[in-house]
Amino acid sequence: MRALKQIWRWFDEITGFSKSLGPVLTHPVPRARKSRWFYVFGSATLTAFLIQVVTGIALSSAYVTGSGQAYDSLRFINSFPIGRIVRGIHYFGASAMIILIGLHTIRVYLMGAYKYPRQMNWFTGAGLLLFTLLMAFTGQLLRWDQIGFWTAVVAAEQAGRAPLIGNWLGHFILAGNTAGGATLSRFFAAHVFFIPAMIFLFLAVHLYLVVFNGISEPPKAGRPVDPRTYRGWYHALLEREGIPFWPQAAWRDLLFGTIVVLSVFLLALVVGPPELGKPPDPTIVSASPRPDWYFMWYFALLSLIPKWSERWVIILGPLLFGLFLILVPILGGRGERSPLRRPWSIVIIASVIVMVAHYWAVGIRAPWSPRLDAPPLPVAVVGVTIGPIADGARVFYDKGCEYCHTVSGYGGIRGPDLSGAGDRMSPAQMATRIFSGAENMPSYRGELTAGELNSLLAFLASRHRVQPPKPPVLHTPE
Amino acid sequence: MQDFFFIAFPYIALTLAVCVGLYRYFSHRFTYSSLSSQLLEKRQLFWGSVPWHYGITLILIAHLLPWIFPGAARTVLGNQTRLAVLELTGIALGLYCVFGIAALITRRLPNDSRARAVTSPMDWILLLVLAYQVLSGVGIALFERWGAAWYLSTAVPWLRSLASLRPDAATVTGLPVFIQSHFISGFVVILLFPFTRLVHVFAIPLEYLWRPYQVVIWNRDPQLPQLPVLHQIAASPRPIPLNPSEVQRRQLLTRLGVLVGGISAAIVGIPSLAFLLGLRKVPEVWRSLGAADSFQIGQTVEVSFLDSTPLPWSGVTAKTAAWLRREGPEQFVAFSINCTHLGCPVRWLPNANLFMCPCHGGVFYKDGTVASGPPPKPLATYPVRLRDGMVEILTTPLPITTV
Ligand code: FES
Repeated sequence: MRALKQIWRWFDEITGFSKSLGPVLTHPVPRARKSRWFYVFGSATLTAFLIQVVTGIALSSAYVTGSGQAYDSLRFINSFPIGRIVRGIHYFGASAMIILIGLHTIRVYLMGAYKYPRQMNWFTGAGLLLFTLLMAFTGQLLRWDQIGFWTAVVAAEQAGRAPLIGNWLGHFILAGNTAGGATLSRFFAAHVFFIPAMIFLFLAVHLYLVVFNGISEPPKAGRPVDPRTYRGWYHALLEREGIPFWPQAAWRDLLFGTIVVLSVFLLALVVGPPELGKPPDPTIVSASPRPDWYFMWYFALLSLIPKWSERWVIILGPLLFGLFLILVPILGGRGERSPLRRPWSIVIIASVIVMVAHYWAVGIRAPWSPRLDAPPLPVAVVGVTIGPIADGARVFYDKGCEYCHTVSGYGGIRGPDLSGAGDRMSPAQMATRIFSGAENMPSYRGELTAGELNSLLAFLASRHRVQPPKPPVLHTPE
Repeated sequence: MQDFFFIAFPYIALTLAVCVGLYRYFSHRFTYSSLSSQLLEKRQLFWGSVPWHYGITLILIAHLLPWIFPGAARTVLGNQTRLAVLELTGIALGLYCVFGIAALITRRLPNDSRARAVTSPMDWILLLVLAYQVLSGVGIALFERWGAAWYLSTAVPWLRSLASLRPDAATVTGLPVFIQSHFISGFVVILLFPFTRLVHVFAIPLEYLWRPYQVVIWNRDPQLPQLPVLHQIAASPRPIPLNPSEVQRRQLLTRLGVLVGGISAAIVGIPSLAFLLGLRKVPEVWRSLGAADSFQIGQTVEVSFLDSTPLPWSGVTAKTAAWLRREGPEQFVAFSINCTHLGCPVRWLPNANLFMCPCHGGVFYKDGTVASGPPPKPLATYPVRLRDGMVEILTTPLPITTV
């Protein structure tokens, strides 16, 4: 013990750590009173990031960065219990980081903590938010199973919507003509070197600024920020009632960070890492690419917006989001900080949360995706085994109707539920619709023989609801 | 003679520019400025100077980029619309410059103007050469159209050959004299650099960007609150040098530091960037899909083949799939499996004669046209050909839907 102390004293004497960094650690922060627990999200995001760094380094020591072998190396990692645990921690650490950085952003925005003199804190934070999202995206891709593979293709296609340079950018992302040998290395370099380097850089500036400008005091309605007097006022506040960051404020960060680590670990243990899908073989066409949960809402958004607006949303959406992040502290660099005096900030956050939650829930059901794995209708539903109705049921399955239309709980939900078609439409109306198609339904003109059409109509006309019809499902097109 | 103009003269111009420039820098450093601007004649200077400087900077960058990244430029320009947009922008910028330099010249014309009084013969020569340069540039843009494209196969190889010290003027000797004169006068401008006010380009006061800001705060707000330590470090006074030669020395060192740092960064950065951008090769090859007889007329089946650049570590991803349809004895169509919406793999439903996309429910008819859903375009097709009874497919790049 004594020896250790002596080593430390010697070390400290020649490095000056406690003299230079000690005051940083114990710098005074304002008392946060009621809102004190809102101040833990930033440090918790950092904690999650450190989890990612540690587990990421471990995983990279066994991961093979080759389009042909990455999948096998992941299976290898997965074949050890400890490999599964580390993968699980990395996965849930990523999820935690996304959630926490989201909460931190919301907290800072609502409390107006981005106002003078902390605008640069906000800008660097916005950069970190962006990089975190990029990490999430590239990370999902590095799983390099079938979905990871198609994610690369979808990413290139989205980049392709950029004006002028779209095609170039798309193939730049793929690092070649097709998603193939060179693609994965590119994403690996981004996920493991480039983006983390940027995160470290921005993080350094962000933390420096937190200390330089001091932690923002909790806002109070009727106490606007005036750049001319703020620093002096803030300084006086610290003189009056500041408490040392370490340990009087930091213990909450410590506690919450520990909770984060524990929950990530428990989830990794109990739930485990995301399962690997089929191999990344482009010739297995029965793939149904889905994003990980954090981008599910965006997937839903792209599916539900009107077709004409899509080319704009894909490019302008992210740009507008970036613009919003840039403009917030520029336009609102002074004045009231309290959300009570900034009702629009509450409206914005509330609508963003509602929108994301809603699209997220819809995205999980993915009502726009045909159910290509729907089984043929069972006899119990059809009711008969021979005759036109039974033939019609077969046509209903063979021609792909069932992938989009539900009958008595079987089939997709992209199109209207046809369980009660016979109650709503006459055979003539049905025939018209089948022939003419619609925005989201192909036309079957020329694809059905007269006999097939007649039995199909007979089958549909025989569909009656026993119970009164349910209210229509929200967000099913048409 | 051509060799003199396109090989010897450029080198002479460059060597002179560098040597004289260095000499002037170390012997008459104070002249490193745009002396004789008569900044006080604000209004005219504004109308001339602003268009000129912004316009010429952008145009120079546009000249430089394809020179450094010819491959990328070729891809960007490989599209009619983009080329047209770029040309138009170029012409607009060129006219902007012409306007600027005209204003700069006219303000020196009146006999009684201050500017005239301080205009040296060198200034006049320079102004005229520059005016010729932008006028001929605009002229080329107007009368020898699509310069952005042919620049890549004429001047770019020549300039690159000059830069790599293996000069070869073959690609430019055959050009019209009018275009050649633009090249030559360009090197005349370089030659004139150290002899004229142009040197001020190298004296942009860059250090204003990172000059410590406390100098300003110090004067305005002496009571900077003593916040945490970092504040104290930032606010501690710096010894203010009194000796002017010392000031100048420091400035010089700062500039040299910036210069050397910038060069080092470029030496490391440009190759790395070029590497990142250059890993794309676009060879297209024909791959056999099997005997024609193995496909039935009127049927659509999945075929797979090696993509054009299989790498040893590509594994399964070296393969590409397509939907091949035999329409007649000799007619084959190969559809890309990538949905034109966001690229998900479409599935063929043989009974319904439809392609269906699992992602957002896009549907295509058997001929690839859109039946319903979000896809904006019909399925892309690969070129297919019949050779000695074998079906062959051309490994074109993954189709990316652009706006
Ligand atoms: S990718 Fe096919 S419909 Fe969206």
